[in-house]
Amino acid sequence: MNHCIPDFEMEDHSSIPSISRLNRFKKPSMPEDEIMELLWQNGQVVVQSQNQRSLKKLPPIKFHDADQPGSKEIRSSSSHHQQQQQQQQSVTDHLFMQEDETASWLHYPLSDANFDKDFCADLLYPSSSTAVAPCATSTAPPPSLGRVPQLLVLASATAMAPAPRPPIPPTKRKGLESTRILNFVNFSKHRTARAEQSGPSNSKSVVARELTVVDSCDTPAMDPESGASQAMPSCTEEASGGDNNNTCANMSGAIAANTQSAGASLGASKDNLATCEVMVTSSPGASSASAEPTAQKPVQAEDRKRKGREPDDAECHSEDAEFESADKKKQSRGSTSTKRSRAAEVHNLSERRRRDRINEKMRALQELIPRCNKSDKASMLDEAIEYLKSLQLQVQMMSMGCGLVPMMFPGVKQYMPAMGMGIGMGMVMDMGINRPMMPFPNVLAGSGLPTAPSAAHLDPRFPMPAFHMSPQVPAPDPSRLQPNNQSDAMLNPLGMQNPNQARIPNFADPYQQYIGLHQMQLQPPQCRAMAQPGSSKPSTGKGHENVENHPSGWSIIF
Amino acid sequence: MSSRRSRQSSAGVSRISDDQIIELVSKLRQLLPEIRDRRSDKVSASKVLQETCNYIRSLHREVDDLSERLSQLLATIDADSAEAAIIRSLIM
Repeated sequence: MNHCIPDFEMEDHSSIPSISRLNRFKKPSMPEDEIMELLWQNGQVVVQSQNQRSLKKLPPIKFHDADQPGSKEIRSSSSHHQQQQQQQQSVTDHLFMQEDETASWLHYPLSDANFDKDFCADLLYPSSSTAVAPCATSTAPPPSLGRVPQLLVLASATAMAPAPRPPIPPTKRKGLESTRILNFVNFSKHRTARAEQSGPSNSKSVVARELTVVDSCDTPAMDPESGASQAMPSCTEEASGGDNNNTCANMSGAIAANTQSAGASLGASKDNLATCEVMVTSSPGASSASAEPTAQKPVQAEDRKRKGREPDDAECHSEDAEFESADKKKQSRGSTSTKRSRAAEVHNLSERRRRDRINEKMRALQELIPRCNKSDKASMLDEAIEYLKSLQLQVQMMSMGCGLVPMMFPGVKQYMPAMGMGIGMGMVMDMGINRPMMPFPNVLAGSGLPTAPSAAHLDPRFPMPAFHMSPQVPAPDPSRLQPNNQSDAMLNPLGMQNPNQARIPNFADPYQQYIGLHQMQLQPPQCRAMAQPGSSKPSTGKGHENVENHPSGWSIIF
Repeated sequence: MSSRRSRQSSAGVSRISDDQIIELVSKLRQLLPEIRDRRSDKVSASKVLQETCNYIRSLHREVDDLSERLSQLLATIDADSAEAAIIRSLIM
C-alpha cells in the first residue's frame, strides 16, 4: 500500500505523467477510439461500445494492450466525458480533466487489465455499489483480467442497467478535483501496490478480501439484506482488500452515511469498513427493496458517491497524508525504515479494522444468546458454543417430536407414553448423537438430575426405536433392533417406571439441556450390558431393577 | 486469527486469551455445518462469528417453525395423552 506515485511511475514505461498514464491504461485497446464498456451480460463478459451499445464478446486479454497512443484516447474519452457528463469543464485544465477521468476511474470497478473508466463507470454507476467501485478501482488493475468478472458481478449484483458515462457532476467535480488527486494518489498507490504484488499475492489479497468481504457484507444487522448482500461479496471483495481498506472504507463509509438513510445505514456509525459493508449491503438491499428508483439510482449513486467522496476525501486525506508523508519520507531518505513504519501503520490500521469487525460480530452474537451477561470474549464464546449445541439438540428433539406424534402405535396404550418418550429419546440418541451418545438421556432428564451413570438407562431404551420408527428413522443399530413383542415388554417396565414423576422434561430449555449434557457421561458398554437384563425381564413394575438401578433422567421421565 | 500471536509486545494476558479465543472459534467452526466442510485454515474469526450468528438465527427460526408444527399436532391429538404431554414439553 505504500506505493505512491513513484511506484506507479515505475510501472509506466513512458514519460507521460502518471495521471495521463493512468488514463492510457484505462483506455481499451479497441481500434476505435470510442469508449468500450465491459459489461456482464448473461453470465458473460461482453464489451459494449458506449457510443453504439454494440455488444461484443470480450476476449480475456483484450484490454491488455492499453498502451495505445494515450493522448488521442484520452482526448476521446474526455470528450466522451463531456458528452455524457454534460460539462467537462476540465477542458481548460488538462491535468484536472485527466484527473477527473482518473477520478471517475476511481469509481470504476476494478479492471485488471484495463482501467477504462467508461466501462468501469458503466458498470459501477448503474449499480448502486458505487462505493465499492472506488474501492474496487482503487485496487490497481492486476494484469489478469480475472478480476473483471468480479467487476461484472458488481454490476450484476446491483442489477443496474449500464448507465452512461459516470456522471461526475461537474460542479462537484470541481470541488473534488483537488481531493481527487489525493484519491487518485491512493489509487495509484493501491494500484501500484497491487501491481507490484505478484500474481500470488494478488490472488491472496483477493482471497483475503473475499474473506473480509464476506464478513463485511454480512453484517448482522443486515440480515434481511444478507441475501442481497451475498451478491456483494465480490464487490466488497475489492473494497475491503487489505490495502484499500482505508480508502474504500472511508469512501464507502461516507457514501453509506450519505446514502442509505434506512436502517441499513446503521453501519455508518461504525468504522469505515463497517460502513462500507453497510453501504454495500444496503445498496443491494435498497435496490431490491425499492425497485422504482432504478433510474435514479445511478444518479443517486453518483451523487452519493460525490458526497461520499467529500467526507471520504477528508478522511482519505488523513490517510493519504499518512501515505504521502510516508512516501515522501521514503523518497527523501530512501531508507527501508520508513517503509517499515509505513507498513506498520498500514498493518495497524487493517488490524484495527479487523478487530472492529470481530468485535461487532461478537456483539451481535451476544445479542443472540439469551442470558448472556459475560463481557469477556472467551466466556462469551464458550456460552455461544454451548448455546449453539443446545439449540441444535433442541431442534433435533422437536423434529423428533413432530415425527413422533403421528406414529402412535396402536394397541399399546399403556406403553404409549413410555414408548413415545423412549422412542423419541432412543431415536434421538441414535440419530443425533453419533459421536456422543450421552447427552440424550440427560437432556431428557432436563431438570438437571445429575446422572453420571445415566448411560445405563439408555440401553434399555435402545431397542425401542426399532419398534416404531423403523419407517422413519434408520435403525440405528441392528443389534438394538428387537422384535416388537420384546420391545413391548421392554416398554412395560419403562412405562411403569415413574408415572408419577415429571415425565416430560422441558426439552425446550436449551440451557437445561445443557446442564444435563454436561453432567452426562455415556458408557455405552455399560448400557449394553444393562440392556440384556432389561430385555430379558419384561416384567413391569416400578421396582424394575434394571431401571431403578440407573439413576437417570430416563427413569424420571418414565 | 492472524497476527495476534505474533505480537509479542502486546500484553501477555491478551495473548493468552487470544489463544483461548482461537480455540473457541475453532470449536465454533466445528459446530457450524457450512464451515466444517470447507478447508478450515483460511476461515477468519470474523467469518466464523458471522456464520455462527446466522446459524443461530436459522436455528431459532427452525425452532419456531417446529414449535408451530408441534402445537398444531397437539391440537389434533387427545390432550390428555402422553404424546400431548411430550409435545407440550417440547414446545415449552
